[in-house]
Amino acid sequence: MREKATTLYLGPQHPGITGNMMVRLKVEGDTIVKATTEVGYLHRAFEKLQERRNWLQAFTLLCRFCVPEPDPVEESYARAVELLEGREVPERAKYIRVLMLELARMGAYMLWYGGQNGSLGLYTMGQWSVGDRNYILDLFEELTGGRVYHMYIWPGGVRRDLPEGFADKVLRTMDYFEKRLKDYDDLMFDNTIFQKRTQGIGIVPKEKAVEWGVVGPILRGCGIKSDIRIDDPYEVYDKLDFVVPTHEGGDIWSRALVRREEVRQSIRIIRQVIEKMPSGEIYNKIPNPHKWALPKGDAYARTEAVRGEVGMYIVSDGSTHPRRTHFRGAAYVHAITLLEKVLVGANVADVSAIMNSLGTCPPEIER
Amino acid sequence: MSFFDLKGTLKPLTALKQFGKKPHTISYPKVSKEAADRYRGFHYNDLEECIGCGNCSTICQNAAIDMIHLEGIEGKKGDSGLRPRIDHGRCCWCALCVEVCPTGSLSLTKDYNYVSEDPDSFLWTPGKDNPQGKEKISFFSTEETSLNVFQRVPMPELEGKERVKSFAEVVLGYSETEARAEASRCISCGLCTEVCPDHMHIPEYINAIASGNDADAVRIIYDNNPLPEMCGKVCTHRCEDVCAIASRGEAIAIQWLKRYATETAATADITHEIVNPEIREANGKTVGIVGAGPSGLTAAYYLALRGYDVTIYEANAKAGGATMYGIPKYRFPIDSLDKQIDYIQSIGVKINFNTKVGKDISFKEIYDNNDAVFMGVGFPDAWSLGVDGENAEGSIQAFRYLYMINSGEKVDIGDKVIVVGGGNVAIDAARVSRRMGAEVTILYRRRVADMPAAQDEIDGAEEEGVTIVPQAIPIKVIEDEKGHVKAVEYLKAEMVPDERGGRPRPVAIEGSNTIIEATSVMAAIGQKGDYSFLEKEFEDKIKIERGRFIVNEKQQTGDPKVFAGGDAVNRTADAISAIADGFRACKAIDEMLMTK
Amino acid sequence: MMKELKEHIIRRVKANFTEAEENNDFTYDRLDFTVKKEVVPSLLLFLKEEMGFKHLSHASCVDWLEEGELELVFILWSPKDKIKVFVRTRLDRDNPVMDNMDNIWPQLHTYEREFREMFGVQFTGLEAPDEFILEDWQGPPPFRRDFDTAAYAEKTFWHRPGREDAQDVRETIANRDGEDIPDFAKKYSR
Repeated sequence: MREKATTLYLGPQHPGITGNMMVRLKVEGDTIVKATTEVGYLHRAFEKLQERRNWLQAFTLLCRFCVPEPDPVEESYARAVELLEGREVPERAKYIRVLMLELARMGAYMLWYGGQNGSLGLYTMGQWSVGDRNYILDLFEELTGGRVYHMYIWPGGVRRDLPEGFADKVLRTMDYFEKRLKDYDDLMFDNTIFQKRTQGIGIVPKEKAVEWGVVGPILRGCGIKSDIRIDDPYEVYDKLDFVVPTHEGGDIWSRALVRREEVRQSIRIIRQVIEKMPSGEIYNKIPNPHKWALPKGDAYARTEAVRGEVGMYIVSDGSTHPRRTHFRGAAYVHAITLLEKVLVGANVADVSAIMNSLGTCPPEIER
Repeated sequence: MSFFDLKGTLKPLTALKQFGKKPHTISYPKVSKEAADRYRGFHYNDLEECIGCGNCSTICQNAAIDMIHLEGIEGKKGDSGLRPRIDHGRCCWCALCVEVCPTGSLSLTKDYNYVSEDPDSFLWTPGKDNPQGKEKISFFSTEETSLNVFQRVPMPELEGKERVKSFAEVVLGYSETEARAEASRCISCGLCTEVCPDHMHIPEYINAIASGNDADAVRIIYDNNPLPEMCGKVCTHRCEDVCAIASRGEAIAIQWLKRYATETAATADITHEIVNPEIREANGKTVGIVGAGPSGLTAAYYLALRGYDVTIYEANAKAGGATMYGIPKYRFPIDSLDKQIDYIQSIGVKINFNTKVGKDISFKEIYDNNDAVFMGVGFPDAWSLGVDGENAEGSIQAFRYLYMINSGEKVDIGDKVIVVGGGNVAIDAARVSRRMGAEVTILYRRRVADMPAAQDEIDGAEEEGVTIVPQAIPIKVIEDEKGHVKAVEYLKAEMVPDERGGRPRPVAIEGSNTIIEATSVMAAIGQKGDYSFLEKEFEDKIKIERGRFIVNEKQQTGDPKVFAGGDAVNRTADAISAIADGFRACKAIDEMLMTK
Repeated sequence: MMKELKEHIIRRVKANFTEAEENNDFTYDRLDFTVKKEVVPSLLLFLKEEMGFKHLSHASCVDWLEEGELELVFILWSPKDKIKVFVRTRLDRDNPVMDNMDNIWPQLHTYEREFREMFGVQFTGLEAPDEFILEDWQGPPPFRRDFDTAAYAEKTFWHRPGREDAQDVRETIANRDGEDIPDFAKKYSR
């Protein structure tokens, strides 16, 4: 007998949901037959606000696009500006940027460890990983002066050079994480509950993935090797040795395995960066910011963030203020058109885990 | 996988080993972690170092920074007297305010803990309300990290060796690209305008240049200065001394930028076209002006714009006063002056050349035939050295020498010139003499650092091969048998600290007599006025004290109908002060005649 | 390599879309094509299906208020050839109508909803609820340049009292010296 459909409203203040958005679910029993993403809970019009700021002032708003991982946004804006202006960046600054980006990736994955497990009721993992994330925040604090919002990567380079003894501290922190990740495996990947709740759940079809705009770990979790750091290399990624992990399957489990491996690759990259970083300048200074005009034209720069491709499209009319800045976040695709498709046929109890696994992030949608 | 997976059930239990570990966090007693050395916490502002330029307030994209009056801090030259107050409820700790602070007075501290139920308590003044912040400064700017551009775009100049070959202009002027780049350094605070005697609208015209609108820059400049190209070339540019950027770098080249803007108008006609001055209908009133120097020309220009019938009486064949006859042509070419005079005449100012007041026309006649009179008569005479032999042939006033050279006369100075003095006139005479092929030595009573001449002029002279002998007091000009200068005898001096706290005084060292050969001696120790043109009947009203006219704040003398300005009035004795006097007098005359 | 690849793409595109205007001035991995709006769907489809530009990296809308036009920009990426192509077109700002293209890339559906709401672009055939991010919005499309966010904020919100004593540095100095800044110069004050 066909069951009568009911409508459920998941969010916007649901504890298992990432950020302020709602998914309207049409369910039959506990099987979802239709899912609709509803946003509109945190629109701050950052892009419009940036038009009222000059090219430098606009930079301070960027970190607010993404709390867990603000640095790729700063980096892509900086690089878009540099691309448009033809501004060179000193080599050392590029290495420092990569260091920042990889630390940010690790920090964001620590939050993901917590969120992914939390969505399955496995709370201990989150207490560990979010606690460990503080060691990364300590590094950020020492390097940039801010723990969460760094406002550090800006057009022309980075704001300050590494403080005395910082490189050693980074390496010690990496040592700690290498050891610590084994505990994570025991608690999470070897855990029957985690395996059973993630294997075969939330499948993204491989053959549709690229066309649907799937990027990042979600695409790699479908077995497709795609990483902007390799495909469209920026900064100094082409001088570094690392592996882009992929796993067939397209489910939460495959994506988790991809992420598990990526944390280890980040550690590998960070060690290389510390080793290879040249000495020298860190900043190709911009003119007086009040009178700094960019040439007419546009540019798009993108980075590989934890959720996949994030980018910044900027348009200049030749003045001191942006004509338009437009942020591209992976969740703009993942949390709407993709989520709505993947949720169909899923069990209500798995929605939070699927959303977390797809990297749902409403601030990327509404900005 | 079987339903019961032993490994997958037991492995997570290894988490229990964490019970044996020391916790990451310190639970009790609660101690706040000390912030990192670079932490971006609450602001601190060094109130003494701060100059109130407000650049922090301008860059703040959260509108969190107000500039306010603080008790005990008065505005003065180079300091607006305002200080930043920050609404920490709006602040996002981006620290751009720190990065753009030209003095480096503003920084962030390690303080970050603050909890209050009262949102108003987040509004406070760094430095005043957290004096303890000085000890906790963490995020600050240095010359390297600052977003201010501290290096000036260098001005292209002729090489010293090239210069002495001719009277070609030494300073070549900025190209368009150079001017835009230099103008872009300005932070538009306006501290400079206070020091400019004429209060020119400096941030506005610099901003116009920076944004590529030179015509607007020219219009803004002509709002209160009709001789800006002259100022662009020879101004004493004291505005640059208080430039906010100069607190840690090189001042914006305000003078050179003005020069750049005015030179974009190549002729008087183009100037007229760009400035497009609004000339009011004739109001039937007349003003007579004595002297076509900067002050007289300025008063004339702005009075003519306001509809007055203005006539200038000038003793010489050309207008410009000291800027025509006193300043050498390699600093201020005659074409440039002519262009500006032509423009001033083009708006209706009449100039009667070769008309010396007191000889060709009486002052009384001007006084009686006009509704108001302005005197910009300058200092036409020079002080003499007061030493033996100074009337020998070959001994000449430097001021007189420059006059003759600028008038196109030939002067025989021989090949060894001694210039006595340390002001701009001394330097000018020395550099002109170099161009005439002579070896030149400057004798100055005090140290080089004490010379009143502008530093770039002193540097220029040295680059051109002028020898400067400081701490040298001439005591005698030695004549040869024909009564011609043969040598100068001087005493070396030592600097003695002044007991009353003034600057050190030179005291001659007995027995240090030195003789230096010379074919010509030029005294350049100052000029003075000549007021013999004033008839007796004016003596009571128009007061002269210590060689200068006494005027009120409106440039008005004791005779309400007579105004005065320029070197014969002010102590700064430069072109821009004269222009300011002329502009002030114009406004006062206008006010007086229009309210009658 | 990159040069030949770019020329190849231009040749292929021009062979099928004669009026497409290319911009090959970029020193990096980028080509631009500007076309009439009617051609956009078929060009996008051609690039996706025939030329390997499988991935839609980004799409954007830019308001050229002074020129009376809205610009749509599509940024495509070829995973095979590792190159970006920008496809751009201009719409009449007073009547911005465009064909729905979410059948080419499903995620264009979201972009179109956003451009409709924020810029007022109408996509013929777009099936989606009227509201996307905004709720009960009666005003003009807010991302258009003539929508003044500061004026809107002034009108809608209020200032906390206690900051009225703020001074303007330039004005303070000018007043102290009796400097009259002429009106036409004030736009250059800061």
